[in-house]
Amino acid sequence: MVSIGALSFVAPWALLGLLALPALWWLLRIIPPAPRRVRFPAIRLIMRLVNPEESSAKTPLWLALLRFALVAAVIIAASHPVLNATDRVEGDGPLILAIDDGWSSARNWEDRRDTMTALIDQAAREGRAAGLITTARQSGGDQVSVSLLPAAEAKERALALQPKPWPVDRTAAIALVNAVQSSGDAQVVWLSNGLHMGNADAFAEALGKLGTLSVLADLPGDLPTVMLPPKADSQGLGLTIRRAATSAPDNLVVRARDEDGRVLARREVSYGAGETETELRLDFPVEIRNRLDQLEIEGENHAGAVVLMDERWRRRPVGLVSASERRNDQPLLDDAFYLDRALDPFTEVRNGAVADLLKRELSLIVLADPGRLADADRQSLVRWMEDGGVVVRFAGPRLAGEQDPLLPVRLRKGDRKLGGALSWTRPARMAAFPETSPFHGIGIPNDVVVRRQVLAQPSVDLPDKTWARLADGTPLVTAEKQENGWLVFVHTTADPKWSTLALSGLFVEMMQQLVQLGRGIAADGEDRMLAPLRSVNGFGRIIAPLPGAQAIPATDILSAQPGPANPPGFYGDETSRRALNLSPALPVPAPMGGLGAGIEPQPYQESRETDIRPIVLTLALLLALADIIASMALRGLFTFNRAAAAAAVLLAAVIVPPVNAPAQAQTLVDGESPFDAALRVRLAYVPTGDGTIDDTVLAGLRGLSLVANSRTAAELAEPMAIDPASDELAFFPLIYWPVTENSETIPPEVAARVNTYLKRGGTILFDTRDEGGANFVGQRLQVMGRHLDIPPLTQVPTNHVLTRSYYLLRDFPGRWTGGRVWVERDGSRANDGVSSVIVGSHDWAGAWAIDRTRRPLYPVVPGGERQREMSYRFGINMLMYALTGNYKADQVHLPAILERLGQ
Amino acid sequence: MSGSVAELHQRAELLAANLPPLLIRADRVAATVSQGVHGRRRVGQGETFWQYRRYEAGDPIQKIDWRRSAKSDLVYIRENEWEAAQSVWLWSDGSPSMRYASNRRLPQKVDHADLLMLATASLLVRAGEHVAPLGWGITPTAGRTALLLLAQALEDRAITANDNHPGSLPRFEPLPRHGGIVMFGDFLEPLEDIHKAIGRYVDRGITGHMLQILDPAERELPFGGRTRFEGMENEGTALIGRVEGIREQYRDRLGRHRDGLEAIARTAGWTFATHYTNQSVETALLGLFMALTAPRGTQGTY
Repeated sequence: MVSIGALSFVAPWALLGLLALPALWWLLRIIPPAPRRVRFPAIRLIMRLVNPEESSAKTPLWLALLRFALVAAVIIAASHPVLNATDRVEGDGPLILAIDDGWSSARNWEDRRDTMTALIDQAAREGRAAGLITTARQSGGDQVSVSLLPAAEAKERALALQPKPWPVDRTAAIALVNAVQSSGDAQVVWLSNGLHMGNADAFAEALGKLGTLSVLADLPGDLPTVMLPPKADSQGLGLTIRRAATSAPDNLVVRARDEDGRVLARREVSYGAGETETELRLDFPVEIRNRLDQLEIEGENHAGAVVLMDERWRRRPVGLVSASERRNDQPLLDDAFYLDRALDPFTEVRNGAVADLLKRELSLIVLADPGRLADADRQSLVRWMEDGGVVVRFAGPRLAGEQDPLLPVRLRKGDRKLGGALSWTRPARMAAFPETSPFHGIGIPNDVVVRRQVLAQPSVDLPDKTWARLADGTPLVTAEKQENGWLVFVHTTADPKWSTLALSGLFVEMMQQLVQLGRGIAADGEDRMLAPLRSVNGFGRIIAPLPGAQAIPATDILSAQPGPANPPGFYGDETSRRALNLSPALPVPAPMGGLGAGIEPQPYQESRETDIRPIVLTLALLLALADIIASMALRGLFTFNRAAAAAAVLLAAVIVPPVNAPAQAQTLVDGESPFDAALRVRLAYVPTGDGTIDDTVLAGLRGLSLVANSRTAAELAEPMAIDPASDELAFFPLIYWPVTENSETIPPEVAARVNTYLKRGGTILFDTRDEGGANFVGQRLQVMGRHLDIPPLTQVPTNHVLTRSYYLLRDFPGRWTGGRVWVERDGSRANDGVSSVIVGSHDWAGAWAIDRTRRPLYPVVPGGERQREMSYRFGINMLMYALTGNYKADQVHLPAILERLGQ
Repeated sequence: MSGSVAELHQRAELLAANLPPLLIRADRVAATVSQGVHGRRRVGQGETFWQYRRYEAGDPIQKIDWRRSAKSDLVYIRENEWEAAQSVWLWSDGSPSMRYASNRRLPQKVDHADLLMLATASLLVRAGEHVAPLGWGITPTAGRTALLLLAQALEDRAITANDNHPGSLPRFEPLPRHGGIVMFGDFLEPLEDIHKAIGRYVDRGITGHMLQILDPAERELPFGGRTRFEGMENEGTALIGRVEGIREQYRDRLGRHRDGLEAIARTAGWTFATHYTNQSVETALLGLFMALTAPRGTQGTY
């Protein structure tokens, strides 16, 4: 390699070709270009003419210069010029690369690999042997220590390296290095991960014995960020994020994904000035929170920035059925109060009647002595239990008075009182939990006493059904498996009337175990092995289990250290999986700093070396093209017109795409003019100005158009964004108008246009997109539509045409459900009785939205493809309603009309 | 092909619509029997009164002019002047050299030639003259049939042309005496050939008109640099090192060629004119119209 300043030539001998250039110059000048050819009728007149000056037999100077430059460019390209070429390895001796390939190297893996390649390439050029040492264990468990190999072979091995999702083990690597037989003349390069980890110095020292050591390390600002698993509390999830140095970017984005990898939420978080640690609170609705599967830091791409979440972070709602209304005036006398307090920290509690509670997803229903259950309620409870639900029942005065079939054991009539003024017995303490019990292992405080309980009829299977006993052996908690679910009975009350259990921490722990039961965890013994289900690879992607992954005993999952045998990932089976995360096992990241002994880590220089051969080759190609054009022009094959046309085409090819793209985005879809809008039926929407919402709405209307085209006779073209202030609205049968909390009041002159549109038969769907809950956006709609002539609205009646214009519908779910949908009050007979506005809050477009591959973009809540299907059906119904007017309403009269016609 | 011929026909009719019917000035009408508008100053078939003459035995009774006879004792017969039609043979050069346009915006020479020929024919037909394509052995006819025959000849011209006879000059066809010929072409052939071709007609007392149609590039030679010229009718090639250098010579030679053509025309009593394809066809047609109706010997650029 020969260098001139910053410019180096890999193959300098090729530059000798430049010596031939003067000869070429001479050749070019004496060989004339081919004459241009002209067909000419009056050739006879020309034929015998004698030309007084036979000139121009030489190549014109500019053409010669062009060709001269062309050949020079080719010669220079052949010499392979490189700008800022870096030679890291000096001296002689073999090259030894020590590579940190643990989790933290994934972030800049490309740079590392480029550096490795460059170094080994250099070694190959100089005929050195090369060796590799990796500090992280391989999947098999060993570290790679390669004896010196030919550089080509070493390069293959280096390229096959991948970052591992577990930490490096430098202590083992030091032993490995010490075992190497070395003459001490090697050139050692340590491609470190830039983290100190306690033994960077020692490793550097060990490497230094092999020969001349140079160390490469990431800049502190490029070091990886670690995200610890969140702590769950009643409000939400609290995340801790750590960076190695304050020079790292201050802002980052955390993404939450569900099991299918869809992004549920993105949250931004920033560090305080000079802080290396920050907290992020994630407050999600329970349904969303329970679908969380994975949290990751955007752009980090390593295993330390990925947190897998299992049932430990989920909150399963618990339904609470109590006898009466909650007594807010005297809460301490209410058994529901104690249950609420016990359950609230780790789950969400819902109060209500059995029928109401069973409408939504629950893991557990607690019956706090509600008295006699209605037959219908009991049947639905049994059905739910058999599907896997858990019913926990407490005894109480109301239960003691009667026989109830919904119990795991038969009870003796009445209750047993222990202790008291007229009794010799003392209030009973609890015995240790039997081994078959899910409560096994929970310590029993001394102060828990039971004063009253209901007693089970002795039977053969009673001991098996008993989960907790009093000291005298009478069952306190009994349970029975019902198909997939459990029926658990606590033989005392959930309030302090009969026992002090409800006041103790034991109560909380027992309830926690019961809630776990509802998730199917720990139901079948703790000592099973959890097989690897999925693994996180070095880049933080969730993939099939790594080759070396082994099963973990369920009891060890919380204490397991991630490593080759137990890579981070999910363990268990699909129904009950446990997460093993890398980040809790990591020390606080700290930059490596200086390593002493005059070894200063150098940063990875990925971008400074520039291979300029492609640029020179491109230049040569362009010159060649120019030469072809010039030659053709000289021969008359390329007239000015053609040249202009070709130039125009070239210009168009170069310039048009970038100009086109934004034009598409900001004006009408696909650059169609407003007149095209009139040619096809299409949906329209009014952009909110919020890019995400507008994209969603467009994708939603696309999805609806697609579904409507495939299922109905309507043929909808691509939806369009319209501006009611300037675009003609009359072409659109239905306008989707999303409302956000930032929507501006429609100015009067625009409102006048919209009013005209509504008056002449248009329909607008206002969507407040706020789950029907907070009415803030609803109020915003009122403010926004102040100047619109919106007639009195009413909730959609059950027999409204919207419920039957195409599909028979009962409700109108979108991405959310449960809110109300409003239409014009019936009786206004303008517009064929079609309501000019439809107002709702279900974010229909979100449910309709599909991506390019026609897959839904957003999950629907509470969920299920049925809900999405229903939302499409609502869309089609609404479309038919807007398109056909009262035709569908008149269908009601069809039998009568047919009858009249027939007779 | 027939579509383009039909279109050409239509354009020619449009072009001719602005001019009155073209009645050829004919000193001596060709000795044909066709009835036409040229009075022969003799008794014969026609519509114009010529003379009364005494009835002689043998005359058909239908020819007696009773009104004249009633004025005297004698019986008279009414005789009309013999009116005959002039016959004109038209020819348009369809050789490859006519298929030339130096510029994409200019029409080919053959386009103008065909258009002018059909327009002239249309004018003649409207005046009752008889026309026929030259070189096809077709008897001149009047009316639209004649135009169709001409158009057909234009269409067939391309088929019959071959290397031996590219059609740069008309094939000889014995014509009746005192007929008329109008020729459209570039007349770039050697002067002797042209003289020979025309001389055979001149010997039979046939009058004619030559309209030379040239591309402006053939007048200016607007090329530059090193150029290889190729003939369009296998004349060969000529490599010119610097076209600018021969431009003056070329113009000279072209001028001499034209002078030669004019001389040929003059000696034959024909007319000669030059038309360039960048000039308007109307001008050319009007010039031709004037020449065909004007006294003999006028020449010029149309």
